[in-house]
Amino acid sequence: MSAWAFYLATVLIYGAVDAMACLALNFEFGFAGISNFGFIIFQSVGAYVAAVLSMPAAASSNGGFQQYIFGWNLPWPLPWIGAAIAGGLLALPFVFLVGKRLRGDFAAVGLLVSAVLLNVLVKNYVPLFNGDAGISIIPAPFQSLWNPQGLGYQFAYGGAAIVLTVGVYFLLRRLTESPYGRSLRAMRDNDIVADSLGKNLRKQRTVTLVVGGMVAGLSGAILVGFISLWAPGAWGYAETIVLFAAIIVGGAGNHKGAILGAILVPLAFEEVTRFIPPLSNPALVPALQWVAIGLLIILFLWFRPNGILPERRRILSGEHASEPVAAPAEAQSDALIKLGNIDELNFRELLRQEDVVNDHRVILSCEGLTKSFNGVTVVSDVTIEVQQGRLTGLIGPNGAGKSTTLAMLAGTLPSSGGKIIYEGRDITALPSNRRANLGLVRTFQLASEFKKLTVLENLVSAIPRQSGDSLVGAMRGRRHWGSEDHANIERAMEMLGGFGLTQYADAYAGGLSGGQRRLVEIMRALLAEPKVLLLDEPMAGVHPNLAHKIGDQLTRLCAGGMTILMVEHELSIMDAFCDPVIVLAEGMVLAQGTMAELRENSAVVEAYLVG
Amino acid sequence: MSSFGFGLITAAVLAIATVGFTMQFAVTNVLNLAYGSVMINSAFVSYYLNINGVTPWVSLFGGVVTGSVVSWALNRFIFTPFQRRNLAPITVVIVALGCDLVGTFGLQAIVGGGYVSFRQSPGKEYHILGMFLSGLQLIILAICVVILGLVHWLLKYTRLGKAMRATSANPNLARNSGVKVQRVISTTWLISGALCGLAGTVFAMNTGVFEATSAQLYIVLLLAAMFLGGPGEPYGAMFGALTIGLSTEISAAYISPQYKEVIAFVALLGMLTFRPYGIFGSEKTI
Repeated sequence: MSAWAFYLATVLIYGAVDAMACLALNFEFGFAGISNFGFIIFQSVGAYVAAVLSMPAAASSNGGFQQYIFGWNLPWPLPWIGAAIAGGLLALPFVFLVGKRLRGDFAAVGLLVSAVLLNVLVKNYVPLFNGDAGISIIPAPFQSLWNPQGLGYQFAYGGAAIVLTVGVYFLLRRLTESPYGRSLRAMRDNDIVADSLGKNLRKQRTVTLVVGGMVAGLSGAILVGFISLWAPGAWGYAETIVLFAAIIVGGAGNHKGAILGAILVPLAFEEVTRFIPPLSNPALVPALQWVAIGLLIILFLWFRPNGILPERRRILSGEHASEPVAAPAEAQSDALIKLGNIDELNFRELLRQEDVVNDHRVILSCEGLTKSFNGVTVVSDVTIEVQQGRLTGLIGPNGAGKSTTLAMLAGTLPSSGGKIIYEGRDITALPSNRRANLGLVRTFQLASEFKKLTVLENLVSAIPRQSGDSLVGAMRGRRHWGSEDHANIERAMEMLGGFGLTQYADAYAGGLSGGQRRLVEIMRALLAEPKVLLLDEPMAGVHPNLAHKIGDQLTRLCAGGMTILMVEHELSIMDAFCDPVIVLAEGMVLAQGTMAELRENSAVVEAYLVG
Repeated sequence: MSSFGFGLITAAVLAIATVGFTMQFAVTNVLNLAYGSVMINSAFVSYYLNINGVTPWVSLFGGVVTGSVVSWALNRFIFTPFQRRNLAPITVVIVALGCDLVGTFGLQAIVGGGYVSFRQSPGKEYHILGMFLSGLQLIILAICVVILGLVHWLLKYTRLGKAMRATSANPNLARNSGVKVQRVISTTWLISGALCGLAGTVFAMNTGVFEATSAQLYIVLLLAAMFLGGPGEPYGAMFGALTIGLSTEISAAYISPQYKEVIAFVALLGMLTFRPYGIFGSEKTI
């Protein structure tokens, strides 16, 4: 009887530790899209730090049979707090790896390799944490007052571990269900686009890794206080894969899924195999355990890629909360969608456009802008001036370098040469999120929606200066940002109504048709409240009637002080709305003027208009 | 100087492995983290042929065929179907890690956890340019040099090599230019798999004793060599392998054998942080 009670207490503690670790990893991977293949080192550093902070000085303890740093003999809870801090600090060097421009899978490999490297170092450098043998006889909290071997103590320990795990659950949920969480998920779905809308990727990833690392460190501290030993063998890089398996099975991007996965995978695998009788080949059971983990990952990703408890769709529009909105059928033609009341919409009010007297000064310009890949020059020596309050067009045959120029102006692509001036300031070296914060916002030629955000979330995520869109703001809770968020949602709903997409407010943006996604992107860019808007073929796939109505609205926005530079193939749009129009060909500026003037220009006609 | 000799062997084996790995990445954009498990499985097939009376150099051929077939199947039946679903690249990497666990520990479950070694003598010791090399090592070195020469010939002077390079640069453009991309990819996996099987087997022969998990950390050396030379660049892989192979063995001699892989780790992390497209590579390749 009592053996079972002890066993139950053990399971509770292991379960809580695994659940906490999975919550942290899921926060990083499922919400922020950081594939932290080195996650186990964050848990491990917490375990080591909690151990050496709670232990007496190495020389004085146990005749000095083990070596370790610190040995400060601190009372609980200081070692656990120290463990959490250590986990958070360990994240900082990896910021360089997960920074801005590195592919997610390369960064993941870097983290994996770091985990292996640290294991090798700790194993071989004995003075740090007693090397391969590891640290043992780690004191349990309050062990001088209460016998850690007693059943009461163990249940109390398990209870405390569960309380802390529940606390972590609520803390992470507070973060992820805030506007900040929305920004993290936007980054997960498409980091380059999130960057171009003004999200600071490096900062967001740093915060994610630090928060995740702190939780992981705490989980390590709880574990080590109970099992009282910690050695490199316990945290091989493959342990991270087990946690990934847990999240894939439970459901990435869902906190409850992470907890379920922790119970189903690490806990169950450890516990169930305890009851398998010893076999002649002692390596067989652990080997088969690993095989099962591998198979679990492959089979789940194939048959149920979103896990048992998939990520929840966030229903933000109040009126549609009751009826779930199905994603539209792919076959549905854009022409059939009823046009919204776009004519009635007051965009200037919606975008909070302040009254500006158009002075048509040069607001954005580049001089000698050049881009080459592998020695092939795509854009060479382009000098363009964009005047405030005008809708400037940019045309040219395929491969002329239009999109590349736009990307360099927005900062998505670094330029190989030349200078970009925005509002009298040299912004050539400024990253794209900073440019967006200054009011220089772009759209993309290729699909760039945040797939697993609803249409409404896509729009709201772009709105600048949200008070809940920071770690501190999010932690202050809904009371702090709720009413503002509500107003933002109202604005986005009004915009959706104007474009006739109200019915899709709560559908995943990834399920829309091509033309609808273009509209979502235009709306999103407008809600970023740009001063200068760079549009890359915004009307491609949009119904011509609607395209012209959007053009009218853009013209009105320009009259109110916005500046737009638009790449577009559809010449009727250029004719109707753009003045002046710049022609690019083979990476160089060929001509500039009104469409009427350009039609008279034989070089332009030859390069572009005829073809 | 003897560490230089060891380094040369390590580098030669690593070059074969890395060229295979980087070719897979080049044509399919997959970081095949299951590569190490295919290597060790090939070594074990070769080993079982060997202990059942086949001479080592014939059994080596068995390892090559195993690596080739297994790699091809891995791509055909696992990676390609996952890629067709248009998932994030990281998903395929996680799948590859899963395959690595299945391959490595499935092997361990079958063969047990003990160490084994090939039935062959290391041969007479030769003293060349101040280096002491065994006959076995000289043969391994010779095989590696010949194979790398063949890879060079394949890439530079054959239609298939040209098609591979085209596919790696831009699969859609290659398809539109009449390259049978699917077939090129399959062939690449067959060839790179053969290199993987060869590398695994000679790695095991060179190590002396080995077991099912012996190649688990080899992936780190591979990745370091690949990123040094630039991902997807076969010649870069050769350069990277030479650098990593020599520097690990020399640092083992002068610093400490326990830390010999550390230099590879540091090189890899440095490359990922500062020049993820390799020393010679350019941005466009990633």
